[in-house]
Amino acid sequence: MNALNTDTFEHYASEVPPEAIKLHVQNLDFFYGKNQALHGVSLPVVNKGVTAMIGPSGCGKSTLLRVLNRIYGLYPGQKAKGMVMLDGENILDRKVDVATLRSRVGMVFQKPTPFPMSIYDNVAFGVRLYEGLNRAEMDQRVEESLRKAALWDEVKDKLKSSGLGLSGGQQQRLCVARGIAVKPEVLLLDEPASALDPLSTAKLEETIVDLKKDYTIVIVTHNLQQATRVSDNTAFMFLGRLIEFAPTAELFSAPRAKRTADYIGGRFG
Amino acid sequence: MASFRRARRTVAAGAFTTFCWITAVIALFALAAIFWSLLTQGFGGLNLAVFTQSTPAPGSPGGLMNAIVGSIILCALGMVIAVIVGVLAGTWLAEYGRNTPYAEAVRFVNDILLSAPSVLVGLFVYDVMVAHVIGHFSAIAGAVALALIAVPIITRTTEDVLKLQPTALRESGVALGTPHWMAIRKILWKSAGSGILTGGLLAFARISGETAPLLFTSFGNQFFSLDPLRPMASLPQVIFNFALSAYDDWVRLAWVGALILAGAVLAANIIARILTREPRRS
Amino acid sequence: MTAIDPALSRRAPPKGAALDPVFRYACFAAATALLASLTGIVISLLIGGWPALAKFGFHFFTSTEWNPVTEVFGAEGPIIGTLVSAILALVFSLPVAFGVAVFLVEFCPSPLRRPIGVAVELLAGIPSIVYGMWGLFVFAPFFAMHVQLPLMTMAQPGSLLEKLTAGVPNGANIFTASVILAIMILPYMAAVLRELLLTVPVQLRESGYGMGSTPLEVIMSVSLPYVRRSAVGAVMLGLGRALGETMAVTFVIGNSHSLPKSLFDSGSTIASTIANEFNEATGAMHTSALIALGLVLFLITFVVLAMARALLGSDKQV
Repeated sequence: MNALNTDTFEHYASEVPPEAIKLHVQNLDFFYGKNQALHGVSLPVVNKGVTAMIGPSGCGKSTLLRVLNRIYGLYPGQKAKGMVMLDGENILDRKVDVATLRSRVGMVFQKPTPFPMSIYDNVAFGVRLYEGLNRAEMDQRVEESLRKAALWDEVKDKLKSSGLGLSGGQQQRLCVARGIAVKPEVLLLDEPASALDPLSTAKLEETIVDLKKDYTIVIVTHNLQQATRVSDNTAFMFLGRLIEFAPTAELFSAPRAKRTADYIGGRFG
Repeated sequence: MASFRRARRTVAAGAFTTFCWITAVIALFALAAIFWSLLTQGFGGLNLAVFTQSTPAPGSPGGLMNAIVGSIILCALGMVIAVIVGVLAGTWLAEYGRNTPYAEAVRFVNDILLSAPSVLVGLFVYDVMVAHVIGHFSAIAGAVALALIAVPIITRTTEDVLKLQPTALRESGVALGTPHWMAIRKILWKSAGSGILTGGLLAFARISGETAPLLFTSFGNQFFSLDPLRPMASLPQVIFNFALSAYDDWVRLAWVGALILAGAVLAANIIARILTREPRRS
Repeated sequence: MTAIDPALSRRAPPKGAALDPVFRYACFAAATALLASLTGIVISLLIGGWPALAKFGFHFFTSTEWNPVTEVFGAEGPIIGTLVSAILALVFSLPVAFGVAVFLVEFCPSPLRRPIGVAVELLAGIPSIVYGMWGLFVFAPFFAMHVQLPLMTMAQPGSLLEKLTAGVPNGANIFTASVILAIMILPYMAAVLRELLLTVPVQLRESGYGMGSTPLEVIMSVSLPYVRRSAVGAVMLGLGRALGETMAVTFVIGNSHSLPKSLFDSGSTIASTIANEFNEATGAMHTSALIALGLVLFLITFVVLAMARALLGSDKQV
């Protein structure tokens, strides 16, 4: 069997009206040095909604996420070919300022990563770079962000203490608060709950559902239940290819591709 | 037969254990002997004049003030240069260069410089600074020579501690829209701070005892001098000259100098150890 | 809650964005400075040493005549002195360092383990000039009095012992220099070997003991094979130190340029010759000969260090 032959991969994608698309991945190839990790991926990300990316380990879902804010650019030898349109602008274009791009497309990682500073400064850190807020405005922004991330009540009395002293679940919500404080348009979540206990996970999922009123969210997850709970659309990836993209309910109840059916049926992965 | 083999094994094991004990005792004894000499020979000569008077002519009273101040200035200047270059170079290796062939080449060169004979560094700096750029012996040439010895140490530790920082911490700073260099400066350097400081202290301990590269660069100076463009005395160089002299009072001062030098180096090393242990405890 | 401020979606680059490339280039320049300084050292030694190498050619390495007055320079004495003293130092130091490292890992009573381990590591940082002074004032006289003289009087004329011990009994000789060098590199090598032995997984060692092996057998058949390449690398690093060491040697080697006739004869090393003569070099050819010596030292240590680097840490890939 020649698994790497493109012809052997099924491909189904639901249509999305162009005006509803916030971020449009078009024919994207990605390389780690000589290794090709993504093969011609095209994926629409719907505005003000949650798009989940699922698939077995090594399928390229995290790689794809890392293209969306060009975080891969930190590493020499990694490169992307194709287009990723954000509001009609190709973010892979050389002229795009990556720092500004990343402030519009925020990211939260698998493991909580509070900065070595106070809770308040963690949240204010990114804001200070972009906006000259006065003290009161900054206080308000910090509170608002922490509230949105459902952390305010737990930390409001210890804003000056180190972010490293919080529990794992709190740290991760601090990272979410930090990410939304700079008011991004898109928020990328890379398996944000994989290091958390069930209770913290439930809280984080509530937060995600709450946030989609204002933000476009892309979440990579291993947990299929989580995808069904939080997302509106789901993309299933396999060996660096997008196999199926559909509204979440549809994809899980009536998958069109055999590989999708196998995966969500628990037959592999 | 079997019992013979067992007996042989027991004897061998016993001999080996004894050997290890004896070597440990020999090593500790030798090192204790050195410290004992240092203390008995140096401690008696320790007095206020050592710190307030300059090196004397043979037979007249004096101290090591010019050499102590000179050493502090040379090391401080050297460390300023070395910290700037070393931290930036270590940052480049860990954050930008990574596994590129150029970075591998820099790493290799750094490892060679880390253990290259310091007397050769002295020859090189002599050739560049003393023979050409400045034209005579000077404190600044000595500082450059010391910096060249300290840079590889700082580069190495900086790279190592930056690499220990979680990838996600590095990426999450950048993912907020922070320019890469500000993420490095405000998040990574801060989080790796105690490690980088340790590297600095180890480098300081190393260069404060270096003698060979100073002989042809800062040379030495009988008198108190603060001028970086003139020759300057330093503790190791004074110890070297005085210890090999035929005058008893100079030899005594050399012992005092050696005691002070060893004490300073030990202190720097101990502080460096305490610093590296602290974060693990909390 | 507020929606996204439309003004922000076309936001300006953040504070400090303009300095990003500046910082990157500063880092790159610093890394390049390291490359440049090693290249500079090589070029400077080549240019400076060329006149002497060109004039004396191969004789520079094979002649033992080093005469600043007639401007004839042959460096066999210092080159052989460097190699002999460094290798002897290694021979003295290695068994002791190995014993100390094993002692610390296997036999040391646990309350003493940390203090002795820390002491060994701290001693590795003591400036070499302190070792040199101790050698000159304490060890050399003791050695002359209690080892050199008795051995010389004991030696039968014409015996091997007489050949090995011939020399002026003042304690300043190749042998003393090697002992001082050995003491100097001892804490360093013991510390590195101990670190290496500690990298052996506990399960591996315990399964060795679990089979009823003695400590000797565990060390020799389990621990050492596990770290053998790195251990050789560590020994090479120690050798590199001994080869390039200046101060600890200069005090006690006796500083004579002829080829040492016995272990107890005075000699010189490359580093001690440079340290002693460079500032007082009598002419351009003398200076050039000293720099050529430096080049030889560089090449020797470069080979040793490059080998050490290739070996250290290579066990992980096995």
